[in-house]
Amino acid sequence: MTMKMQIAGDVTDRASTSATGQAVIDTRNLNVYYGDFHAVCDVNLDIQPRKITAFIGPSGCGKSTVLRSFNRMNDLIPIARVEGEVLFDGHNIYAPRVDPVEVRRRIGMVFQKPNPFPKSIYDNIAWGAKINGYQGDMDELVEESLRSAALWGEVKDKLKQNAYGLSGGQQQRLCIARAIATKPEIILMDEPCSALDPIATLAIEDLMKELVSRYTIIIVTHNMQQAARVSDYTAFFMVDDNRTGYLAEYDNTKQIFTKPTNKATEDYITGRFG
Amino acid sequence: MTLKNNFDARTNQGMPEGRDLQRQIAGRHRNGRIWLVVFQFALAIAIVALTVLIINIINQTFGLVAIENEIEPEQLVSAYVEGEMETMPNTVSSEDDAALAASIAADPYAIGFFGYTYYHNQGDALRALAINGVEPGAASVQDGSYELTRPLFLYTGQRIMEAKPQVAPFIDFYLNHVNDEIADVGYFPMDPDALAEQSYALRIDEGATPPEALTGDIIVSGSSTVYPLTVRMAERYKEAGFQGKISVESVGTKAGYAALCVDKSADIADASRAMSRQEQAVCNKKLRNTSEFQVGTDALAVVVSSQNDFASDVTEDEIRQIFNGAGQWSDVRAGWPDQPIMRYIPSIDSGTLDFFVEKIYTEDIALSDLPKPALISTLEANLSKGVMRRYESEQPLAERSYQDLYDLVLEQVVEPRVIMSWNMLPSVFDRPAIEAEVLASNPDAHVQWYAWLNPKFLTATQSSTPEYAGVRTAILGTLWVILIVILFSVPVGIGAAIYLEEYAGQGRINRILQTNIDNLAGVPSIIYGILGLAIFVRALEHLTSGKLFGVADPTTANGRTILSAGLTLGLLVLPIIIINAQEALRAVPQSLRDAGYGLGATKWQVIRTHVLANALPGILTGAILGISRAIGETAPLVVIGASTFITVDPTSPFAKFTVLPMQIYQWTTRPQAEFKHIAAAASIVLLILMLLLNATAIYMRNRYSKTL
Repeated sequence: MTMKMQIAGDVTDRASTSATGQAVIDTRNLNVYYGDFHAVCDVNLDIQPRKITAFIGPSGCGKSTVLRSFNRMNDLIPIARVEGEVLFDGHNIYAPRVDPVEVRRRIGMVFQKPNPFPKSIYDNIAWGAKINGYQGDMDELVEESLRSAALWGEVKDKLKQNAYGLSGGQQQRLCIARAIATKPEIILMDEPCSALDPIATLAIEDLMKELVSRYTIIIVTHNMQQAARVSDYTAFFMVDDNRTGYLAEYDNTKQIFTKPTNKATEDYITGRFG
Repeated sequence: MTLKNNFDARTNQGMPEGRDLQRQIAGRHRNGRIWLVVFQFALAIAIVALTVLIINIINQTFGLVAIENEIEPEQLVSAYVEGEMETMPNTVSSEDDAALAASIAADPYAIGFFGYTYYHNQGDALRALAINGVEPGAASVQDGSYELTRPLFLYTGQRIMEAKPQVAPFIDFYLNHVNDEIADVGYFPMDPDALAEQSYALRIDEGATPPEALTGDIIVSGSSTVYPLTVRMAERYKEAGFQGKISVESVGTKAGYAALCVDKSADIADASRAMSRQEQAVCNKKLRNTSEFQVGTDALAVVVSSQNDFASDVTEDEIRQIFNGAGQWSDVRAGWPDQPIMRYIPSIDSGTLDFFVEKIYTEDIALSDLPKPALISTLEANLSKGVMRRYESEQPLAERSYQDLYDLVLEQVVEPRVIMSWNMLPSVFDRPAIEAEVLASNPDAHVQWYAWLNPKFLTATQSSTPEYAGVRTAILGTLWVILIVILFSVPVGIGAAIYLEEYAGQGRINRILQTNIDNLAGVPSIIYGILGLAIFVRALEHLTSGKLFGVADPTTANGRTILSAGLTLGLLVLPIIIINAQEALRAVPQSLRDAGYGLGATKWQVIRTHVLANALPGILTGAILGISRAIGETAPLVVIGASTFITVDPTSPFAKFTVLPMQIYQWTTRPQAEFKHIAAAASIVLLILMLLLNATAIYMRNRYSKTL
């Protein structure tokens, strides 16, 4: 069973659901094991389209693991094993005949430490589109992606220069531009600002608020203020005595930060631990 | 800095403070310095060892050699010139001086040459020409300003005169009486005052030692020109009452010097030229002091008829033209008449002709100045008909280039042979001793500086004569083998490494595989040789000999070819390349791979675009290491069967071959001393070849790193 691939075209044409009702990602009893170690237990989560969802929680609670299971990046770890279902637009991406390559084209990722390719800025963005079979004006795509990432103004004169010459914040925005060049529906961000200074962090946050009109964004963050500023929904993960992670609470961000139902959530938010 | 004292001296617990702290820190620094010295020492040892190695090789590659020619080039030049002179038009040659003189006198356009004394006795019929502005005469002959002179000398040594009291009085007698006989013999007398001065220097008291009072023997040896004069003097001395025996030998000036100074078989040397500085140095050492006595001069006069009214002065160059085929007088100098030159010369056995040719031609003309036809006629004169026919059929001599013909003359007629050789250090510091040694054993040999590593060495093929042997076949063989090694082991090695690192799991089989590859890197190379022999040379003979492709010679083809060698060495270096490539792949950061996967790339796309590109410098390093190892391997190739003597260039992977290390090994096993020089030269070539290959690979690696 393969999903329909949209090569080019406006994101708004997607058969994605509206803001009310159907989730774009729906996990059912998601469990992740690293070898014998039970990393994440029974996560049931539905991500709303064109909203920013934040995963927060103490270190080692499995936030990144859950995030990575959304685009099958855990497949790259030989000892990782996923049980349960992750439905993307109603289809289980862990079904036997699903190609992870296709999943990853439609669910993009931005990593904690900026990792542009050691190529030119232009090639960084063009490469992803090229290997996915993009036919069309590459220059236009590059410009569009860079504009969307609020980086165009700074690099439009040096597209052929090596990406390593950019500052940390610029590199991260380049990675975002690279991710959206393949026209994904969802962008996963794994602590994208933890390696950046406050000014660059704010720039990324502004960018997220712009991008959310076209993409669904899920962000893992250690920074609670960031989660409170930026996200629409927040999922709070906790770790139990066996160091297995579980989903403690999931609600509107306003609700989580003003009237959390879980005691642990309240303790974490008010800084009593974490 | 004083911190709270944590150290309790009673119980020895805690961290040292205060002075104890200082001492402890100082101890740690001292420890570090000791290790630094050890490392520096290790580096010094390495540098010294490498320097000694390089110096040793260079020491053997350059140095003095003693070269003996089968036939001296000067002889070839004179033979050619004399032959030409005889066969020129308008030339008459005769043994009869009188006939020649008469013919010249009768013809205003004639020209010829005689010994000066003979000319002088002809009266007014002939006129001697001035040469380069100098007229022949007593003064100009004596001081040598006249070109065609040959001074006549006697040489002896102080030690000889002290040991044999009869020698000095004989020389004294010689000086005092030589002018009585010299005109008769045909030479130019010396100024009597000059003779008297030399006699006086001897300080002989004639009264105290008259001839009849002396006995013992006197041996004179040397120049054939002085010989008749000395014979006459010896007879006279005997007539004057000398009781002993005087023996006179005519062996040539050079041999005379050898007899006097080195063999000590002569007491007096006759010479028709002065001793060179080197010969004097050797002589002075052996005889404590060498004494030189000039007893006369031989001179030639170039004569024309006294009826000749236009020529009185010629330059040496004009003489050369006149006697080398110039047609008319006006061809030689503008203003001279348009009349053909009539030449009258002595016959080819004449010593006068030899002297003339030597002075006018050979002294100033080298073998390489002769024109092409001269070289061809030289070859014809000295090589057998059969050999000449063979060369003609290979390529007609007239079509060959000048350099080819010259080289052929040198190689086949002059035949220089290196008879002795020395290393560089003795050559630089001990040259006089070397020259003396050569003078003693082979006086005909000349000593010259020689670089065993020279362009000819690189382009010549194997030879059983060291100075003609070269490394061309070996270099080509090495390059061919390395090509096969690269083509085989680099792709296979990189591919295997990619599989092992990126695709293979961690299962038991893969771990065994990995361990085996690591172990193979340490297997002795000779075992690879045996493996190659069994598989590539024997079992796969159809493939490696080329029979499979139909390009093999049916009688001589076998599996001992470049292809077998390349595959064997390729197997040898394969583990090295695999291990290095794996390290390089492992070093690529996972974040790069993640970024690729995150964009929806397949595994191969990630590997090809990102992992390989990043790992390439490291992979190339592994390839460089492998190639460097392969270039120097000898043992496996001995087993595979690299040829020990091969002169044909390899032209395909199915050809027989030899490689540089094999060649070097071969040459070091030969007994002749000269082979160790060319082995050293070949070692330098091998080192340079390796440096070039490595530099190319490093350049490629750096260029690739920059574009990333």
